[in-house]
Amino acid sequence: MSDDQDQQTAIEAAIARMVANGRLSRRDFLKRAGRGGAYVGGALSISAFLAACGISPAASNTPAATATPSASTEPTPVPTPAGQLNFANWPLYIDTDDNDSTKHKTIEDFTAATGIKVKYTEAVEDNQSFFGTIQPDLSAGNDTGWDLMVLTDWLIGKMVGLNFLETIDIPGLVPNFAAHGGDKYKNPSYDANNMHSVPWQSGITGIAYNPKLTKRELTSFEDLFDPAFKGKVGMFTEMRDTMNLALLGIGVKPLDATVDDAKRAQQKLLDQANAGIVRQYYDNSYTDALAKGDLWATMAWSGDVFQLQFDNPDLKFVVPKEGGILWVDNMCIPAKAQHPIDAQAMMNFVYQPDIAAQITEWVNYICPVPEAQAIIKQHAKDAADGGDQETADYLNAVADSPLVFPTADMLNNLYSYKVLSEDEESQWNDLFQQVVQG
Amino acid sequence: MLRRFRGAVPYLFLTPGGLWLLVFFAVPVLIMASVSLQEGSLARGYALTWNFGIYPEAIGRWSTQILRSVEYGLIATVLTLLIGYPIAYTIAFRGGRYKNILLLLVILPFFTSFIIRTISWKFVLADEGLLLGTLKSWGILDPGFRLLATPVAVISGITYNFLPFVVLPLYVALEKIDYRLIEAATDLYASRFQAFLRVTLPLSLPGLFAASLLSFIPAVGDYINAELLGSRDTTMVGNVVQRLFLQNNDYPEAAALSMVLMVGLLAGVLAYQRILGGEELTA
Repeated sequence: MSDDQDQQTAIEAAIARMVANGRLSRRDFLKRAGRGGAYVGGALSISAFLAACGISPAASNTPAATATPSASTEPTPVPTPAGQLNFANWPLYIDTDDNDSTKHKTIEDFTAATGIKVKYTEAVEDNQSFFGTIQPDLSAGNDTGWDLMVLTDWLIGKMVGLNFLETIDIPGLVPNFAAHGGDKYKNPSYDANNMHSVPWQSGITGIAYNPKLTKRELTSFEDLFDPAFKGKVGMFTEMRDTMNLALLGIGVKPLDATVDDAKRAQQKLLDQANAGIVRQYYDNSYTDALAKGDLWATMAWSGDVFQLQFDNPDLKFVVPKEGGILWVDNMCIPAKAQHPIDAQAMMNFVYQPDIAAQITEWVNYICPVPEAQAIIKQHAKDAADGGDQETADYLNAVADSPLVFPTADMLNNLYSYKVLSEDEESQWNDLFQQVVQG
Repeated sequence: MLRRFRGAVPYLFLTPGGLWLLVFFAVPVLIMASVSLQEGSLARGYALTWNFGIYPEAIGRWSTQILRSVEYGLIATVLTLLIGYPIAYTIAFRGGRYKNILLLLVILPFFTSFIIRTISWKFVLADEGLLLGTLKSWGILDPGFRLLATPVAVISGITYNFLPFVVLPLYVALEKIDYRLIEAATDLYASRFQAFLRVTLPLSLPGLFAASLLSFIPAVGDYINAELLGSRDTTMVGNVVQRLFLQNNDYPEAAALSMVLMVGLLAGVLAYQRILGGEELTA
């Protein structure tokens, strides 16, 4: 009974908060919109499937050959923006107007500053199925219709290998990345010297737990194997997150992992499953299970836990001492894009610290521009001076959270996913499917 | 001329439905069959290599999940029939003026999406939720007891979700039984139970047949219940297909497994129809 009442008041408080100041962050947006993501993704993938069926053998037999010249050997185009930009991003991944979800201040600021008109589309529901929609054009050497896309690092690595991405000119066209981008994001393992990509936002895959239920602090990957938590541990259904974290757990750096290492990691995960410790393998829905107490400890994404903490201050997020994953969603330009200069203008624009701050205040993922922290602090101070303590508290929480601006210690213990060759990917998929589906 | 036209009328009436099925069923099935025989990868593209070996491979690798799907489907179907038959019987013979309201109540869950209804089960059955939390606080249940992520939850979810599909055809079959036949049986000294066994039940067999198929076929292919209410130990073949397709982008194996499921179900249904008496049932 009292639980219900607590929940009731928490919900009322949340509604009151929202009504009081009209501020709508991604977190509230998620609550309002419901979590339909998985099923939208399912619908999208049908187009991916049909695209895959539609490929003529002729096109698929000559994959890279047609795409190669455009990506690497052509001279840099004359840097004049065309005045147009087709931008594919993930849902709820940019600051969005409270009342009109098609309005994004960052995009409007960009158009005002550069004169470039942006067609901003929330087209990416997940990496695999989005790649399925552009792969036929890329293989055939055609324009995909996109100028700028936000994709996760492992897919960037794969597409670089296939010559599916245009090179970008950081000194000439994206100097703000060199000046303001965090060191951790420069010269990443999946894209040497950021030749083809710069980060949009990033996040950590680590462990979240509720100390009230676990009755102790967690620090290690091994804590997910504690028999005392039997049936109360969540793992991810995402192959890359779970396999790479398990590799770190057995002391292997993902970049060095061999197939034998992957098999050992699989065995570790199988043991955990067979002992009945894992309750279930989750997609985004782990957040509900964690909030409800069905899960005591679980693999988790930092941004989610940051937002859960507003309603469940008990929840904690930890980078396991064996290491965690830093995943990075990157802006990149597909080969044969029509407006590559405009795309690089956007890359440069969002690396201005005040614009980066504006996005992070809404999105709450890890900001690749460390200087944004001071700016958000300043915004909080301005809000407090203006008498809006609610907004000030929120902004301070964003700026002070190690889940948005990780400490140096945390960053030092974070690793990228291993970029997998085609054979490795299919082997890892097979190994992992045995883990999640018995 | 007129005669000839008349002869064509039934075919004309079948044309819209036939075209619909051709475009949205026959073509996709052919594409799926073709995909299942292709080899390649998402990055390089796929090419048709007539790789029939994928079929025994897929069956061998996923036999546990295939058998589990059939098992869950059968259990759920039997449960829906056991629960649904008395409901349909009551509405048909004892519904009186409330018939329409009762039928509306049966259909009512359809006004909410399948997925929302199943997700709401997660709230009701949560370890510390409405039901279990209360029973645990009364000391009736062990604190470690749970329903979610168990076969019980998955089978219950399937049973719940397909119950209306069973009630409606059973109702239709029972409703059209001439009640005078049952009266005649009792007049001839049959007990109520005998009258039910020898008159009502046989006359409702077509409804039972339709109901069991409407429940069993979607239940075997269902993956939502296992996904939301189950765990790795309750994985059904639908979940395997979904993962192969969306996560691994292994379109050929996913398509092959789907074909296996489809052909297997078709064969099973035909055999079932044979056993239950065939043609007169479908009338």
